[in-house]
Amino acid sequence: MSSSPDVSIAVHDLRKVYQVPERDSGLRAAVTSLFNRKSRAVEAVQSISFDIQPGEIVGFLGPNGAGKTTTLKMLSGLLHPTTGTADVLGYTPWDRDRAYLGQMALIMGNRNQLTWDIPVADSFELNKAIFRIRASDYRTRVDELVELLDIGDLIRKPVRNLSLGERMKCEIAGSLLHQPRVLFLDEPTIGLDVAMQRRIRSFISEYNRRTGASILLTSHYMADVEALCQRVIVIHHGSLLYDGDLAELVRRFSPNKTIIVELEEGAPAPDDRIAAIIDRAEVIEQSAVGLTIRVPKAQTAAATSRLLAHLPVSDLTVEDPPIEEVIEDVFNIDVDAAPSKDERATMMATGATCPVDHGQFARDEAS
Amino acid sequence: MHALTVICTYVRLGMLNVLQYRGDFIFQIVGILIGLVTSLLTIGIVFNQTDSLNGWTTDDLIALVGIQILMRGVISMVIRPSMQQLMEGVRLGTFDFTLTKPADAQLLASVSQFNAAAVADIVIGLGVLVVSLARLGATVGFADAILFVVLLFAGTVMVYSFLLMLSTCSFWFVKLSNILVIFGTMFENAGRWPITIYPGWFRVTLTFLIPVAVAITVPAQSLTGRLDWQTTMLALGLTALFAVGSRWFWKFGLTHYTGASA
Repeated sequence: MSSSPDVSIAVHDLRKVYQVPERDSGLRAAVTSLFNRKSRAVEAVQSISFDIQPGEIVGFLGPNGAGKTTTLKMLSGLLHPTTGTADVLGYTPWDRDRAYLGQMALIMGNRNQLTWDIPVADSFELNKAIFRIRASDYRTRVDELVELLDIGDLIRKPVRNLSLGERMKCEIAGSLLHQPRVLFLDEPTIGLDVAMQRRIRSFISEYNRRTGASILLTSHYMADVEALCQRVIVIHHGSLLYDGDLAELVRRFSPNKTIIVELEEGAPAPDDRIAAIIDRAEVIEQSAVGLTIRVPKAQTAAATSRLLAHLPVSDLTVEDPPIEEVIEDVFNIDVDAAPSKDERATMMATGATCPVDHGQFARDEAS
Repeated sequence: MHALTVICTYVRLGMLNVLQYRGDFIFQIVGILIGLVTSLLTIGIVFNQTDSLNGWTTDDLIALVGIQILMRGVISMVIRPSMQQLMEGVRLGTFDFTLTKPADAQLLASVSQFNAAAVADIVIGLGVLVVSLARLGATVGFADAILFVVLLFAGTVMVYSFLLMLSTCSFWFVKLSNILVIFGTMFENAGRWPITIYPGWFRVTLTFLIPVAVAITVPAQSLTGRLDWQTTMLALGLTALFAVGSRWFWKFGLTHYTGASA
């Protein structure tokens, strides 16, 4: 039952298979399916394992449908896994022990739980009753959350009168009144403007600092992940692809470098000459004054010198591709070419590069 | 104790909700009054033709209408709107939040909504009941009154269990809101008359399948001196069976809840 004190979330071989109803489009199929429902097994999460330490903020990444939300739902006790175990704060989540639920919070950016028609503060009262929060604690925490999230003016208003961002801030405050020790955040900044995203981000970081809560966060905004998470777990098609440092992820998964070239004024556009200068360059952007090229990492030095030798370059910089691009590359991995479970285990143990077909890799080796 | 605190908080929030929408509140009361007038007019029309309906007199039937309105108030105050909310929550996925709370999910789901306009139903129902009893000249003893309250409570539990079972089906079928409409129609139309006037098969339906009998006819029988002990025991036994059965079905349904996707 109890976990070691230095692990707050321990997940082992967690797997979830859904039975999904299926039918063809059209009226006939709809009528047929009324009487003869067909379903198909979909493996949403395939045997994933990881540990999270107390106080750690971990980014949980993957494209839509990768199995992130399913995993979060299992860890918050909403779903029973098909097989596998999880231990969060010493409890098995899906036993839905009240002692566990009282220390956990699940916040979903696209769903709200505050009562629509009444003022926010009244909804907070409900959580106070349900979570048995002592009156003195309640007042202190409301004051603290109101100050940190700057929602003093908002909590007297009915929820329906709030903007999306305002509502999200109030949702977060309401979900943290019982001061959870484990927090599952499912896209907490979805649909918010940049300033509001930044505000929520800094709040999450502050909450983590003040309470030492463990946080597992999913987001499609890399800025969230970069600002909050040192460590990321990447899943794709239900399988764990990577678990480790965010910086290492970029280094490991990006086979390319980006070279930005500025040309001397009045120089003719290089156009198709690039292909003649460098073998496998991919021109991402080209304008009157310069161009941006993507080249395989191993060729960076050679490409740079050839560019300098053959073009009237006034300035040249070499960069890692933006993290969004790296993540996109990871997500574009062909499932069949993805490493098997054993290969992944070895890969994570040895820190080896994921043996995945990236297109560029294959051509690289051919040359 | 904790359950009571939670219920009280929900009720308090429900009252606040009324203050937010006064217009809607007034229209609900108008609706209730229209319903009352229609019921009484129907009874009037029937008794223009006859003195007695299967042994029930005009005033007996008015008492029954009073009980129907009273029961409707009790059901539509918390139970029905909460069940509606539950089905909606299952469809939209917000029911997830109910399950992540450290409290009994059935309790939270059953009291989540409060419709204050139903209080008007209760007041009017009681009023009709008192007037009809006065016209009957019936003397209701202390024991009768206790039995009446017990049966009314049993009727509420029975309807609650029934609606909970219907709502639990939404864990499998997701969209089922029309099922509550069917119940409402049966309750309004079939419940307006004592079930003893119906043919046997329909009586069985109204007793075992859609429990209008226990909720309305049985309490009315107890007030008008028509209730034998066999019926009383049957009503109480059925209620216990429904209550236990619905709890079991709810727990079973929860293991099938998959929620809406992100």
